[in-house]
Amino acid sequence: MSTFSVSYRSTNGVQILDLHGELDAHTASDLEEAIQSCFEDGSVQLLVNGEELQYISSAGLGVFMAYVEEIREADGDIKIASLQPKVYNVFDLLGFPVLFDICDTEEKALHLFEEGNTKPSNEESS
Amino acid sequence: MLPSRIRAAWDDLTLPDFSSEAWRGVLVSVFLLGFLLGAAYHIGTWAVGSAPGIVWRGAYHVVVVLTYASFWFLLSSYLQNRNAQPTQTFFITVLVGIAYLLLAVLIQTLGDPALGLDYEQRVVESFTSVVKVNLLSFLEISFTMVVLLLLRRLVFYRRTRKSVRNWHLMLFFMVLAGLLTFMKDPSDDLGVLVGIALVPAVGMAVVNSFRVSWIVYLPFREKMATMGLAFFLMVLLGLALGDGVLPEVSSYARFYSYPLTVFALIAGIFGILYCVTTLLSLLFHLPTSSAFKRKADEMAAMQSLTSLISQVLDLEKLSSTIVASPVEAGSADVSWLVLTDGDGQAKLQATHGVSPAEVADAIDYEALLEQVQRREDVLLLDEAPLDRRVRASNGTAFESVLVVPLLTRNAVLGALFVARDVSYGFEKDDIESTRVYAAQAALALENARLFEEQLEKERLHRELTIAREVQQKLLPQSIPQLPGVAVAASSVSAYEVGGDYYDFVQLDDERLAFIVGDVAGKGTSGAFYMAEMQGIFRSLSHLSPDPRSFLAYANRAISSALDRRAFISVIYGVLDTAKEEFQIARAGHCPAAVINLHGEARLLRSGGIGLGLNNGSLFSDSLDVMRVQLQPGDVFVLYTDGVVESRDVDGDEYGYDRLLDSLKEHRHEEVDDLHDALLRDLHEFLGNDEYDDDLTLVVVKWHGVTMQPDVASTRAPATAQTT
Repeated sequence: MSTFSVSYRSTNGVQILDLHGELDAHTASDLEEAIQSCFEDGSVQLLVNGEELQYISSAGLGVFMAYVEEIREADGDIKIASLQPKVYNVFDLLGFPVLFDICDTEEKALHLFEEGNTKPSNEESS
Repeated sequence: MLPSRIRAAWDDLTLPDFSSEAWRGVLVSVFLLGFLLGAAYHIGTWAVGSAPGIVWRGAYHVVVVLTYASFWFLLSSYLQNRNAQPTQTFFITVLVGIAYLLLAVLIQTLGDPALGLDYEQRVVESFTSVVKVNLLSFLEISFTMVVLLLLRRLVFYRRTRKSVRNWHLMLFFMVLAGLLTFMKDPSDDLGVLVGIALVPAVGMAVVNSFRVSWIVYLPFREKMATMGLAFFLMVLLGLALGDGVLPEVSSYARFYSYPLTVFALIAGIFGILYCVTTLLSLLFHLPTSSAFKRKADEMAAMQSLTSLISQVLDLEKLSSTIVASPVEAGSADVSWLVLTDGDGQAKLQATHGVSPAEVADAIDYEALLEQVQRREDVLLLDEAPLDRRVRASNGTAFESVLVVPLLTRNAVLGALFVARDVSYGFEKDDIESTRVYAAQAALALENARLFEEQLEKERLHRELTIAREVQQKLLPQSIPQLPGVAVAASSVSAYEVGGDYYDFVQLDDERLAFIVGDVAGKGTSGAFYMAEMQGIFRSLSHLSPDPRSFLAYANRAISSALDRRAFISVIYGVLDTAKEEFQIARAGHCPAAVINLHGEARLLRSGGIGLGLNNGSLFSDSLDVMRVQLQPGDVFVLYTDGVVESRDVDGDEYGYDRLLDSLKEHRHEEVDDLHDALLRDLHEFLGNDEYDDDLTLVVVKWHGVTMQPDVASTRAPATAQTT
C-alpha cells in the first residue's frame, strides 16, 4: 500500500509543501486537496519540495496541472524543487521542465520567486 | 403420588387396539350376547317367580359387568376424535342428553306404571318391568358413558402424561368403587367401604374437571355458545341423576347391576363438575377474551407480515411494507421509517397513516435516531409532546412515540418509529413485539441493500465488459503489410478499460504511420480520451503525416476535450520504405528504443511535452523530430510506461536498461518471437502475470526492401539526427 503525505512550511511568503512517499492515482487527490486549500487560503506562491518523494506516476503529475493556471492568473506560481533523479526523470519525460520551474535546490526556487520569474502562461497563443 | 415404578408401569400399560375391525366385532358380539343373556335371566326370574341360587346370580352379575365393559371399549374406540371442537363437543353431548331424557321418559311411561320389582325375592314382577329394567339401565349407563367419553376429548386437550394418568386414575377409582358393590342388593345402602372408595374417585373427578385450558383459545362468540351449552348439559345431567323426572330409572338400574349404577353415578357427577368449572372459567375469561383476541390477531398479523417482508427485495416496496405492518396489525396509529444513507445522513424513507411533511414538522427524528443509535435499544416517549425533540401539540397522532433501532450485525440501519394518539399508548408487550418485528425488518432491509448492491455491481460489470469490447475494437484488428517491414503489437489493460493506445495507418505504398499513447486521467475517463485520440490519428495522419505538424494539430484538437488534470503522452512516427527513413517524435512519451544488427542499442530521447499540457507555442517550441536512417536488422520498440515502470514485489522497476538488455539478446529473432520474448522477460522479472498498469508494446523490424548484403554490411550503424 502506497503512502503519501504533505507537510507545510512557509518562508518569505512562499508556501512550501513537502511531499513524502508515493504519489500515484490513489494519492493524487491528497495533493490536489493540499494545493487547493493553499490557494483558497490566499497563498499563490507555492513551492513543492520533492526531496522525500519516492515515486510519482503520470496521474500524480496531472495534479500540478489542475491549479497552475488559476494560480498564475493570480500572479502566483507553482515551482518544484529538490526532486530525486528517478522522480525528476518522470517530470522530464513529460516535458514538465518546459512548463514549470524545476530547481535542484529549494534556495534556487525561492530565489526565482524573489525575482518574480514565472513560466509563460498556458493561454499564450502560438 | 405414586411410587415411580408403579407410575411407569401404569403409563406403559397398553390396551389392545379396540378400533380395529376384528376387536370391534368381538366387542359387539360380547355386548349383544351379554345383553341378551341378561335379558334372558330377567325373563327367567319373571317366569319362574323366584331368583336362582347365589352361583347363578353371581354369574349374571359377572356377565353384565363384562357386557358393559365391552360396551365401554366399543364406545371409546368410536369417540376417539382428537381434534374435537369444544363447542361442538358440548353440543353433541347435549343432544345425546336430550335424546336420552326423552327416550327414558317415554319408556318409563310405557305399560304398567308400577315399579314391578320385588327386592326381597330379587325378581321382576311383570314383562313390562323386564323390558324397563333392561332398556332403562342400558340408556342410563350408555348416556353417562357417552358423556364421560366426549368430555375426555376436552380433558385431553393439549394432553400431558400427567393429565392422561389422572384420567386413568379416575376411571380406576370409579371401577373400584363400582366393584365394591358387587352382589349388593338393590335396596342396600352403599355402605362405608364404598363411601370411602367414592372419595378418591370424586377427588380425581374434581382434578380432571380443571382441565379446561381450551377455553383460552375460544373466540368470544364460541365462548358464549359454550357457556349456554355447558349450563344446559349441567341441567340435563342433574335431571338424569336426580329423581325428579326419572324417579324410577335409578331403581331399575340398581336392580340391573349395582356396580354399573355406581359407575354411572360418578360419571354423572364428573359431568356436572366439568360443566361447573367450564361455566365459571368461561365467565371469568369473557372480559379478557377481546383483549386476548386482539393480541392474538396482532401477533398473527405481525407473523404474516414478517414472513412477507423477507420476500421483498425492492427497497422502496419493502420500506412501505415495513411501515404499514404495525399500523395494519393494530399496534400503532401511525408509523414511519428513517434510514441512514452511506454518509450517515438520516432520511425519512417511508410513512404510514401520516404524511412525510407532518412527521418532518412535528418530530426531530434525526436527534431521536441518534439517541437510539447510541444506545442500540428502544426509546419510548410516553408523553411525546413533553420531549424537546417533538414539536407536536397535544391531540395529535404523536402522543406516545416508540423508536426502535434497526440493528444488523455491525451497523444501525436506521429506526422504525411507531406512534399512538394517546399518551402511555405502548405496553411492555407492544414494545417487545415491535422490537422483534424491527429485527426482522432490519434483516430484510439489509438483504435488500445487499441485493441492490449486487445488482449494481453486476450491471457495472456488464457495462465495463461492453466498454472493454468496444475499446478492443478501437485497436487495430490487423497489421498493415509493407515490404521490408514487420510489426508485432499488443496491449493489455490492468482494469476493465484502459488508457493505452496504439495504432497504425498505411499512408501510401511506401509509408506507414505509427502511434503509441498513454492517457493520464482518472479511471475510465482514459478510455474516452483514448477513443478520441484514435479518431484524431486516423483522420489527421492522412492529412498531415509529418510528425511535427501532426502532433501540433493533435495537441490543439485534444486540449479542448481534456480535463485539465488529464494529458496524453504519445510517440508518433512515420516509416518511409522508399527513403529508408524513420521519422519519430515524442510528446511526453517514453522514448522509443532502437537497436541495430550489431547490438548497438539506445533510447531516442528527443524533446517534447505531453498533449494537453499546453495549448500555446510551448508545445511546438519544445518538440523535436528525430530522423533515423534505416539499416536492415534495425528494431524499434515503442511502449508505454507500463513496461519500464512495472515493479516487482520488492518495488524495483523493470527499467530501461533491462529493456535494452533483453532487446539486445533477442534482436535476431523474428518480430513476433522478439515481441513475445520481451514480454516474457518482463513477466519473469515481475514474478506474476498481474499488472498494476496498462501495458502496450509495439515492435517494428526493418528487413530492407531489397536484399543487398554488401551494401548493408558496409553502411554505418543507425544514426539519428534531430531537427
